[in-house]
Amino acid sequence: MTDCPKPPWKAIDRSGCAPIEIRTAAVDPGSGFLKRCDGLNAATRLLAEASRLSTPLAALWLDVDRFRQVNDSFGHAGGDRLIACIAGRIRQAVSGLGECLHMGSDEFVILIPDAGGSSAEQAARKLLLEIEQPMAIDDIMIRPSVSIGIAISLADDDPIGLLERADRAMIDAKRQGGNRFVISGYEALPGRIGVALAREELAIESALYSALENGELRLNYQPIVRPDGRVEAVEALMRCAAQGVQIPPDKFIPVAEKTGLIVRLGEWSLLQGTRCAARLREQGYTTKVAINVSRVQLLSPGFLPALHGALICANVPPELIELELTESLVMDLSPTVQANLRSARQAGVGLAIDDFGTGYSSLASLKDIPATKLKFDRAFISVLPADRQALAIVKAMTQLGRELGMIVVAEGVETHEQLIACEVAGTDATQGFFHARPMSEDDLILWMKGRSFK
Amino acid sequence: MTADKVIDWPPVEGVLAHSIKIVDIPPRPAIMDRIRAAMNEDIPNFNYVGQLISADVSLAAGLIKTANSPYFGFRSRARTINEALLMLGLDATCRAVAALCFRQSFPDSARYERFWDASARIAALSGWLAGRLEKSKIRPDNAYTFGLFRDCGIIILLCRFPDYAASLARANQNAELSFTSVEQLDFPTDHSVIGALLAQNWWLSDEMCQAIRYHHDRHAIDMFDSGLAMGSRYLIALSQTAEYLLQQVSGASQTREWEKLGSSCLRLLNLDADDLTELCVEAGALLKTVDY
Repeated sequence: MTDCPKPPWKAIDRSGCAPIEIRTAAVDPGSGFLKRCDGLNAATRLLAEASRLSTPLAALWLDVDRFRQVNDSFGHAGGDRLIACIAGRIRQAVSGLGECLHMGSDEFVILIPDAGGSSAEQAARKLLLEIEQPMAIDDIMIRPSVSIGIAISLADDDPIGLLERADRAMIDAKRQGGNRFVISGYEALPGRIGVALAREELAIESALYSALENGELRLNYQPIVRPDGRVEAVEALMRCAAQGVQIPPDKFIPVAEKTGLIVRLGEWSLLQGTRCAARLREQGYTTKVAINVSRVQLLSPGFLPALHGALICANVPPELIELELTESLVMDLSPTVQANLRSARQAGVGLAIDDFGTGYSSLASLKDIPATKLKFDRAFISVLPADRQALAIVKAMTQLGRELGMIVVAEGVETHEQLIACEVAGTDATQGFFHARPMSEDDLILWMKGRSFK
Repeated sequence: MTADKVIDWPPVEGVLAHSIKIVDIPPRPAIMDRIRAAMNEDIPNFNYVGQLISADVSLAAGLIKTANSPYFGFRSRARTINEALLMLGLDATCRAVAALCFRQSFPDSARYERFWDASARIAALSGWLAGRLEKSKIRPDNAYTFGLFRDCGIIILLCRFPDYAASLARANQNAELSFTSVEQLDFPTDHSVIGALLAQNWWLSDEMCQAIRYHHDRHAIDMFDSGLAMGSRYLIALSQTAEYLLQQVSGASQTREWEKLGSSCLRLLNLDADDLTELCVEAGALLKTVDY
């Protein structure tokens, strides 16, 4: 079959989509699917049959999502295993319904006789569900997925036209992020291309799912201390492990943000953070708990219900909770983000701007956020007290924060000299290894009890 | 969105002065952590898990009853904990234990007897339905657990806010707005959000947490681009259909959910009106014979 001419329906503009790698024998030889040329023959035959019986013929074009990343990460042997596995799942999902064709590489076509839009949709849903079950390649679990384009035959349709429409719809499904189907004629406008994940990211994504389901997420807390020794607040920092091995936050947070999992992780930490505040209050401390929130979270319509839900579950007043916003979030305020922040503030929740003063800082944005706290980036503090210029900046920023009615906090305080310099500059509180490293909730309570202040 | 609806919290200092008893959500039972730890061993030790469960007599009895429930349709009968474990498998056992611990973990549980009864019946019918429907993609015990946890947010809101009962009644009767939208007219959150938070806190599967979160959201169920996993959609469809069957059998339909979500559920489960009538008869016969 390798010498068959390139079918004309492949002449579709695929700019913006992952290049297709054509390899022979990529499929499990036992898959029993027809190969490309036979595919066109089968389509011709089934279409003729359909038009004779005046019934519709549905064509489903499947393309494996992120196949190139799997190939790049696991080699062609890994790619072959993925294709074999998906072929098996396809066979299981559509057994008896119609003809399965392997179009080469990572593409499959399923032709279902006597199937209109709703039967084809039903089949597509079944396929997506069957295929999305986790599978292991080289001990790493991945969640495979496919993009499906559906076309239903029209009167006097020709097989190439039918397959071409299905292929176009598939490309649209892929553009919308994959793991979905699009029916030809209902394609959305071109959107963003599916997120490409490298091997490490695939592994981290899978580890995040498993951490969410196996209890391997933790919040650690780092105290923020006032000059008089009182603990003004604690910052909650998320830790994630997979089978006992810690994954650093700078690795898992970006993956969580890309895949949207950050919304789940964020809601989990809202609940854990508010429960910690409740526990501290039970012990007699009115210490605030600062919880990090990401831009993706603040863009989701479920953000406020989740925030209030956590407050209700933990039964803590909103004044004891602060949302810590990264500087990049602050600099890129959409109307939704702004509205969510305002509402949270209106409800009584505090807003802290993190890492202020570096990166893309814009003083103008300070007036757009009803922030209650300003946290200087550690870059300014690490050079204190020797760097006179840094000290001048810290002094000026402290003054600015004060004028805006915010509590001013210096992060990354590691030595006594740095602490003194910050206090001289007038900051309201300091955070850093000089006071304590981030610790578990139980250790935090012991640490608090060891101090003389409530 | 009802962001401007703010709960009237007592002032922080005042709360401390009166040392109000803090009501938390039910913490995850320690036995779940132990079973999970045992499951994560390289070679899971069934005997050890059996011992853990046997240490709690009511849990052990509950697990054997679960394994033998006609809803799950096992042919053999479990007489011991270890037999029940082998029939269910460790994963399903962990879920069953969560389900068994769940009701006990709520203080003042007896006050909400009717709620628990309805949940138990919906859960049981969901489990049966998952097994009954040809090529159902959901394991019966998974559908059963979901049925039980689906509405747990309601209990938390009822415990916390006396006014919530009235909102709940309005949400049940409203044929226009989604159930959770009606709740959000009076509260800044809703029972599906609270339920999902609780389920996450118990480390239930992501598929189940998301299903709890979106079980009144027609858009999430219907639109493929909503991003809700297919498994979650099937869980929702099974439990809503189970609830509908229960209401038909008992003749007490107190909600409008089927009007809003029924067609989506039937489409997902590939059922038509005739199938539904047939299932109603079977469900009626089943509910009469079983003590759950």
